[in-house]
Amino acid sequence: MAVCVAVIAKENYPLYIRSIPTENELKFHYMVHTSLDVVDEKISAMGKALVDQRELYLGLLYPTEDYKVYGYVTNSKVKFVMVVDSSNTALRDNEIRSMFRKLHNSYTDVMCNPFYNPGDRIQSRAFDGMVTSMMIQVC
Amino acid sequence: MSVPDYMQCAEDHQTLLVVVQPVGIVSEENFFRIYKRISSVSQISVRDSQRALYIRYRHHYPPENSEWGDFQTHRKVVGLITITDCFSAKDWPQIFEKFHVQKEIYGSTLYDSRLFVFGLQGEIAEQPRTDVAFYPSYEDCATVEKRIEDFVESLFIVLESKRLDRATDKSGDKIPLLCVPFEKKDFVGLDTDSRHYKKRCQGRMRKHVGDLCLQAGMLQDSLVHYHMSVELLRSVNDFLWLGAALEGLCSASVIYHYPGGTGGKAGARRFPGSALPAEAANRHRPGALTTNGINADTSTEIGRAKNCLSPEDIIEKYKEAISYYSKYKNAGVIELEACVKAVRVLAIQKRSMEASEFLQNAVYINLRQLSEEEKIQRYSILSELYELIGFHRKSAFFKRVAAMQCVAPSISEPGWRACYKLLLETLPGYSLSLDPQDFNKGTHRGWAAVQMRLLHELVYASRRMGNPALSVRHLSFLLQTMLDFLSDQEKKDVTQSLENYTSKCPGTMELLTLPDGLTLPPVPFTKLPIVRRVKLLDLPASLRPQKMKSSLGPSVSAKSPFIYSPIIAHSRGEERSKKIDFQWVQGDVCEVQLMVYNPMPFELRVENMGLLTSGVEFESLPAALSLPAESGLYPVTLVGVPQTTGTITVSGYHTTVFGVFSDCLLDSLPGIKTSGSTVEVIPALPRLQISTSLPRSAHSLQPSSGDKISTNVSVQLYNGETQQLVVRLENIGMEPLEKLEVTSKILTTKEKLYGDFLSWKLEDTLAQFPLQPGKVATFTISIKVKLDFSCQENLLQDLSDDGISVSGFPLCSPFRQVVRPRVESKPVNAAEGGRPGEPCHVKTLEAVLNFKYSGGPGHVEGYYRNLALGLHVEVEPSVFFTRVSTLPATSTRQCHLLLDVFNATEHELSVGARSDEELILHAGECQRMAIQVDKFNFESFPESPADKGQFANSKHLEEERQEARGLEINSKLDIHWTIPSLKRTGEASVEGLLNQLVLEHLQLAPLLWDVLVDGQPCDCQAAACRVGDPVRLEVRLTNRSPRSVGPFALSVVPFQDHQNGVHSYDLRHAVSFVGSGTFYLDKVQPSGQAACLGALLFLYTGDFFLHIRFHEDGPSKELPPSWFCLPSVHVRALEAQA
Repeated sequence: MAVCVAVIAKENYPLYIRSIPTENELKFHYMVHTSLDVVDEKISAMGKALVDQRELYLGLLYPTEDYKVYGYVTNSKVKFVMVVDSSNTALRDNEIRSMFRKLHNSYTDVMCNPFYNPGDRIQSRAFDGMVTSMMIQVC
Repeated sequence: MSVPDYMQCAEDHQTLLVVVQPVGIVSEENFFRIYKRISSVSQISVRDSQRALYIRYRHHYPPENSEWGDFQTHRKVVGLITITDCFSAKDWPQIFEKFHVQKEIYGSTLYDSRLFVFGLQGEIAEQPRTDVAFYPSYEDCATVEKRIEDFVESLFIVLESKRLDRATDKSGDKIPLLCVPFEKKDFVGLDTDSRHYKKRCQGRMRKHVGDLCLQAGMLQDSLVHYHMSVELLRSVNDFLWLGAALEGLCSASVIYHYPGGTGGKAGARRFPGSALPAEAANRHRPGALTTNGINADTSTEIGRAKNCLSPEDIIEKYKEAISYYSKYKNAGVIELEACVKAVRVLAIQKRSMEASEFLQNAVYINLRQLSEEEKIQRYSILSELYELIGFHRKSAFFKRVAAMQCVAPSISEPGWRACYKLLLETLPGYSLSLDPQDFNKGTHRGWAAVQMRLLHELVYASRRMGNPALSVRHLSFLLQTMLDFLSDQEKKDVTQSLENYTSKCPGTMELLTLPDGLTLPPVPFTKLPIVRRVKLLDLPASLRPQKMKSSLGPSVSAKSPFIYSPIIAHSRGEERSKKIDFQWVQGDVCEVQLMVYNPMPFELRVENMGLLTSGVEFESLPAALSLPAESGLYPVTLVGVPQTTGTITVSGYHTTVFGVFSDCLLDSLPGIKTSGSTVEVIPALPRLQISTSLPRSAHSLQPSSGDKISTNVSVQLYNGETQQLVVRLENIGMEPLEKLEVTSKILTTKEKLYGDFLSWKLEDTLAQFPLQPGKVATFTISIKVKLDFSCQENLLQDLSDDGISVSGFPLCSPFRQVVRPRVESKPVNAAEGGRPGEPCHVKTLEAVLNFKYSGGPGHVEGYYRNLALGLHVEVEPSVFFTRVSTLPATSTRQCHLLLDVFNATEHELSVGARSDEELILHAGECQRMAIQVDKFNFESFPESPADKGQFANSKHLEEERQEARGLEINSKLDIHWTIPSLKRTGEASVEGLLNQLVLEHLQLAPLLWDVLVDGQPCDCQAAACRVGDPVRLEVRLTNRSPRSVGPFALSVVPFQDHQNGVHSYDLRHAVSFVGSGTFYLDKVQPSGQAACLGALLFLYTGDFFLHIRFHEDGPSKELPPSWFCLPSVHVRALEAQA
C-alpha cells in the first residue's frame, strides 16, 4: 500500500504527485525530491549497461524511519517514485515491481492520449483512479 | 569526547595537533593575523630524515577530546602556542603565569609549548628564552614562521623519541594497557596476567605505535604496525580498538593512494603551495622504507603492496571499523567522524551510492543531547557532504533543515541572518534561481510546492533579519513566478503581506546586493496584470499629420524600379513589423493601447502605469486603473507627449502594483502580440479647433465617406434656401497657424443639385493669418440648396402635352386660377408613394469640408493636418412646380411660361418671379402662375460642348445643352419664394422641369420672321393705318439655322375678331390686296435674310387681324412647325383724315 506516488519528467520536475495523508503533502514532496539524487545516481551507474538488458526497476532508493522509497525509471527517463510505509512488511520486492509495472502501463495510456501534451501535468482521470486503487489496495 | 570534528578527514591521522591560543586581551584581528601566519607552516620536512611532518592547528580544542589521544594520537594536543599582548614589563609576570595556567590545561599530552609576546620591549625581551619569543609589534615579527619551524622540529624530536620508545619496548616485561576514558572503570580488577589481557595490551600498543609512525611520516611502518595490531585485536575481540586499528589502516592507505588529500578545501589549505608539497610528500614516502635509520619492527614486513589496502578494501575496512564502533555508545563521535572520513574518500572515488549509505548511517548516529549550535553544524556538514557526492537535492534538504535549526523556537536569539544565508545556499538544490528572467520561458517546470515553501521561508527570514527590501523582493518574486501554483487564498495572503511590507519599504527596480556578494535582480510584475497585446495608436483623424506631396516625388520608393514585386513586398512586410507607418507629432498627446488581463481572484489596482520609451524625450502621463477580478481582456490606453522629434521606440511599460514598482520590457514578455513599437515623431504642428454657427449633430455621415470626420453639423433648409455658415477657427495648439486650405466634397450624388451647394471666400480669413496660438479667425461659407423643384417627371410629361395644345388662340387673361383641392392631387401622390423620390419626402444632403492647415516647424518639414467638418443638410420641400407649360404671348418673341406652383410647406408662402406681383399660396395649395418671358436665343451660347464632342456621346451632349438652357432660363426667371411666418426666403428653379417641348417653345425659332407694317415692326401692338391708304406689309425672314431654307409661299388671310368667338373671314369688301395676297420667298442661305413686300388697303375702319399662312407644300414639311411661327398682325384701320 503506497502512501505516495509520483511521476517525474525526464527534466526532473513532477508530472504527477499524490499522497494519501494530504495534510502533510509537503513532506512527501521533499522526500520524493531528495530521492531523485539517488535515482540520478542509479541511472548514471546503469548507463553503462546495454539498453535492452537494463532493468527499469531501481529498487529501494533509501529507507527513512517511517517510509521506504522505491524507484522505477522508463527508457525515456521518466521516473516513478513510490513511497511505502515501512511498517508494511507484507510488501515484497515483487509486489512493488508489479505495482510499478501497472503504473507504467497506465502512464503509457496517458501518453497515448493525443490530447495530452508531453511535459504537462498528468490530469487523466483513469491514471488518477489507478493510483488511488494502488494506494488503497492492500497487497 | 563529545564534540565531533566534522571537518576531519583521513589525512588528519598523520598530523600533529597544535593549539594556538591567545592569553590576556588580544584583539581578534591581531590574533588571527598571527594564527594565519602560524597555520601556513603546516608541513615541515625534518632536517635529518627525509620524512615530512604535518601539523594541524586549532585555535579552539576541548581538552577532554585530548583524552582520547591514546586511542588515536592525532587527537592529542602535542603543542601549545600562546599569543599575548604585553606593553609593560610590569605585566610580564602575570602574563607568564597565565601561560603556565594554559599549559596546565593540556599539560598531560603536551610535548612542547611556546609563548609569543607582542609589544614588549626592554630588558625582559632581551633575555634569550627558548619557550618565549618577543616581538615589538604585530607588524614587526618576521621570524614567526622560523620560530614555528623550530618549534615543530622540537615536537618531532619528542615524537620520534616516543615512537622509538614504544616501538622498541616490546621486549619489555610489561606493556601498559592503553585505554579510552570510558573503558577505565571496565578494566578494574581484571586479570592482568592473562594471555588474553596481554594480547590486548600488545594489540593496542601496536596500534598506538602505528599512529605514531604515521605521524612521524613513516607510512609503511605504520601500515605494518596496523596490520599486526588488527590481527592481535581480532583474536581477542577488542572491537573498539580493532575498529581504530582498521581505521588507521584505512587512513594510511588513503594517504598513500590519494596524496592530494580527501578533505577538499581543507586539504588545499593544508598544502598552501598546492601541488608542490604534495609531490614532495609523495617523494618522501617511498623513502620511508629505506631511509629510516631506526630499526623498527620491520622484520614482519610483507611488502608494501600487500600492506597497503586497495581502494575497494579501504571502504570495506571502513565499513568494518564503523560497525565495530557502533557497538559502543560512547564511541559515537568516533563513529561519526569515521563515517565522514569514509564519505570523503568515497567522494574522491566517485562512489556516490555507497557514500550516501555511509551518510545515511551518520544521520542515525545518536550522540548525546546536542546543543542547537551543534545541530546546525551537523546538518550543515551533512549538507556539505551530500553536495560533495553530488546529491544536490539532499544537500539542499539538510541545508534547509540547518537553516530552520538556526531559528528554532528553543533558541533564545534566533540567527535569522544565518538562517537566511543558509536558505539562499539551498536555492540551486531546488533548481530555483532568483532571476525572474529564467521563468519567462514557457510554463514553469519544477517542484512548485517545495520552491514556494522555500520562498516563503526566505521572505520570512529576510523580514526577521530586518531587511524589508529583501523580503519585498522575495515576495514579489514568489508572486511573479509561482502565480500559477498559488491557490486563490494564497494569492490573497501573499498580496496582503506584500502590501504590508511595501507600506514600509516600496519595491524598487534596483538590483539588491547582499553583503556576501549575491545580487538579487529586480522582479517586474509582468503577470500583474498580464499584457496580451500592445498597439500604438495613430493620432485622431483630425490631428493626423499628412505629408505634402512634393512635385519632385520623393515619395516614390527608390528601392525598386517595379511597382509591385512579391519579393519586395515580403521584405517590406518584415520591416513594417517593426516600424509603423504613421507618425506622432511632437507636443501632441500620443496613445498606446494595451490589452491587459487580471489573473487575480480579486480586484487589481494598478497605479502609476506609464510607458517606457527610448529614442525621443517623452513625457509619460501615468494612469491608474483598477481591473476587476479575473477580468477578460481589458483595454488600457497609456498616453504621453513626445517632447522632441526623431524615432521613438516603445520598449515597455512601468507599473506600481501592491507598492512594487516594475519596469516591464516588451522584449521579455512571453506571448505578447505587438504590431510594432517604433514610430516616427515629426515636428510640432498647430492644432485647429472648429466651431460653427450651426448646431452639432449626432448624425454620422455615410460610411463610404472615407474621411474621418471630427465634427458634424446639421441644418434644416427649405429647398432653394441659402444659409450662411460661420466657422470659427481657433488655434488651440502651441504653434502659429500659417496655412489653410479649404476643399469640399459632396457625398450625396443621388439627388440632382442645381447651382453651387457650398461657396466661400477664403481671402478674408487668410488675411488674419498667421493665426497665433489662442487666436480665433472666422470663415463664412454659404450653403445653397437647390434641388429639383419638379414634382413628377411623367406627370409633367402628360401635362406638357396638354400645354402644347393650349395654342392657337392667345388667352386674354394670362392668369387662369386653378384651385386644386388637395384631394385631387393625392391620388397622384399615392400612385407614386412607393418611390423614394416622393415629392413630400425630406431629402438630405451631405458634404465634407476639409480644412488643411499647417504651420510651425511641422510646416517646414512639409506636414499638414486635415480637419474634416461634416455637413448634414436636411432639405425640406418648399414649392413644387407640378406642371409647366407655355402659352404663346402676343409677341412672337415672347411667350408665357405657365407654372403650376404647389406649396409643399405647412406655412403660407408667397411666390414671385422677377418683380412681378407675388402669388400667395396657402399650405398645400396649388396655383398656376404665368410669367411672361422673352424667348431665348440658345444658339447664341457658346458651343462649349463642341470641343468635347469627340468623346461625349450625343445624348450626353444634348443633356448638357439642356442644362445650360435651364440655367439661362432660370436666371431670367428669378423665381423666389418667401415664408412670411418663418421669415425665410429662397429661390425656386425650373431647371429640372423644362422638357424638350417646353424648351422648344421658349426658344426663338431659327427662322426669324418679322412682319413690318408700314415699315414699323408689328408684334403685339396694333398698327394703326388709315382707311383708304395702302398699308405696306413686309415679311422679313432671317435664317439663323445652319442650313438654307425655302423657298416659301405665304398667303395673308385677314379676319376680324368679334370678341365673341366668332371670326369673320369674309372680308372681301373690307380689305383688298394691293398686288398679290400671296408672298413668295426665295431660298435663304444660312444667316441670310430675305424679304417680300406686299400692300393692303383697308376700306373700312375697324380692327383687323392678319393671319399669315404658309402654303402647305414643298420643303416646309421637313421643318418643325414652331419655326413657322409668325406673329399675327393686328391692324387698326382708322378713319381717313379729312
